[in-house]
Amino acid sequence: MLDFQTLLQIFWTGLANSTYAVLLAAAFALVLKVVKVWNFAQAGLMGIAYYTMYLAIQKLGWPGYAALVLGAAAAIVAALAMEVFGLQTFRRRHSPPLTFFIFTLVLSELVQYVLAMVAGTEPVSLAATIMSASYIVGGVVVSEWDLKAIAVTVVLMALLFVVMKRTRHGQYMIAAADNPHLSRLYGVNVRRVYALTFVLAAVLIAVAMYLFGTRASMVPNTPLEMMLFAVIAALLGGMGNVFGAAVAAVFLGLLRAFSILVIPSAWQSLILYALLFITILFFPQGVRVARRARKKPAANSAAAGA
Amino acid sequence: MEYVASLLVLIGLYVILASSFNLIIGFGGLISIAHPIFFALGAYTVGVLSTQFGLHPVLSIVAGFVVAMLASFMLSLPSLRISGDYLLITSIGFQLGLLEIIKNLDFVGGASGLGGIPNVVQQHRSLVFAAVALGLAVAVVLGLRALVRGPYGRAIQAMRDDELAFVALGRNAMNIKITIFAVGSGLAGVAGGLYAYYYQYLTPDQFQILQSAMILTMVVVGGMGSVYGPVVGAVLLLLLPEAITFLNLPSSVMGPLQGLIFTSLVILFLFLRPQGLVPSSKRLSAGGGHE
Repeated sequence: MLDFQTLLQIFWTGLANSTYAVLLAAAFALVLKVVKVWNFAQAGLMGIAYYTMYLAIQKLGWPGYAALVLGAAAAIVAALAMEVFGLQTFRRRHSPPLTFFIFTLVLSELVQYVLAMVAGTEPVSLAATIMSASYIVGGVVVSEWDLKAIAVTVVLMALLFVVMKRTRHGQYMIAAADNPHLSRLYGVNVRRVYALTFVLAAVLIAVAMYLFGTRASMVPNTPLEMMLFAVIAALLGGMGNVFGAAVAAVFLGLLRAFSILVIPSAWQSLILYALLFITILFFPQGVRVARRARKKPAANSAAAGA
Repeated sequence: MEYVASLLVLIGLYVILASSFNLIIGFGGLISIAHPIFFALGAYTVGVLSTQFGLHPVLSIVAGFVVAMLASFMLSLPSLRISGDYLLITSIGFQLGLLEIIKNLDFVGGASGLGGIPNVVQQHRSLVFAAVALGLAVAVVLGLRALVRGPYGRAIQAMRDDELAFVALGRNAMNIKITIFAVGSGLAGVAGGLYAYYYQYLTPDQFQILQSAMILTMVVVGGMGSVYGPVVGAVLLLLLPEAITFLNLPSSVMGPLQGLIFTSLVILFLFLRPQGLVPSSKRLSAGGGHE
């Protein structure tokens, strides 16, 4: 039963399913790196983006790309509102870290309850059917969704890389991440940089939720668990290493896919929490040994294959 | 009368939960959302011990305290070793993960719940439970008051306000953090034990993230780091949902609506009155807590 074909199939499907996790991990790591906030409100943004797209596709009959634009717009508005009305206020007041933690986490829960009230707790999906046309390549089932998801993820991560490393705004982001006070002295508008970071994160989140929603369905409290996955990836990738987090997400996704072989399905959902503990216990600062060696490969693989 | 007594039981339980959580988050400055899981561990310990071994109620509640306390080490030792930030993330995983385990274990009833916990009080049941719960709550609040006003309490607050200076004075911050986390969690376990005996039926769903939001709201609204704040918060937030039950809404709306009220209250208070209804003593109140 455990022939090469099966393993290859698990690998491919695991890889395809880790695409949205990569985007979510990158979004989380990006905010953590630049704004220095553990953005637990990401789960709320994920919920907002998802249910906006659900509304557009299933209730209003919009085409997918238009719904995606609307979902991204909703996530951007929500993220900016949180930054402008929430985080800026707390920063101005020099609130303790506790306030930021509670605020972002409770915001996610608030969104979850609002969604449960408005949309109910039945699972909803973005696509009419979660089956997509598939081909058999060398004995492995490759669906159109797989190819689309991987292509979109690779392109987005490459774009993010270019924005961060090659544009003026990206340099501002890295400067602000490194030392916000000094960058302010050099004339960088740190507030605008933070806002831009949230916009980028919101776009990543919306695309990730679109990919997820055309493959699976979710209920209002799904994002919290999905976010936990992103948090673990961000930790494993090393604090503030956006592309490290993306690579870690692929690794975790594959690990979870292959665990089906050894762990009974009733206990599957525990793997995530076990991984979290292992990460905290053994890799609190991310995978250090490989980090220096991985800096380039991480960037390359993000550009070439994630 | 029965209704008032059952409400008093709940008030007693939540005063214990909110006060013990306040010890962790308000006085210790340790951010965790896993308090309901220690509540659950205490309840399930009592549930298993009383249904399968018929242990004496007092002994099984003590066992609930011990189990919750031991479990707290599993959470605090690995995460506090690194930094306070990690505690929050680990606590989310700990809370969700342990609930998942409880759902999958047959001898604690799995997802369908654990029933048949014996009734230990025959006459005036609710009144006796109300008296015990309120008595314990008063004891916990007074105990915590004595603790935080004593020398150990000053050490706790010194550690919270400036850990670097505290360590530089030769004190061990790690010991204090782990101790207060264990004591707070153990007290939640006691509340859980009482809960199990009173309701005689437990399901994993009772200890979901909504509970975290609720206890956190009680502490934030009441006043983090003040002894009586969480008491006020607990009483207020238990009476509030009672008021909306008179609206006769269907339960599918009720649950989320309660969550909505709790979470929006937390956010409102963070903005408008970060120090809570009962601010902590003057020395600490600057900036709504600590810097």
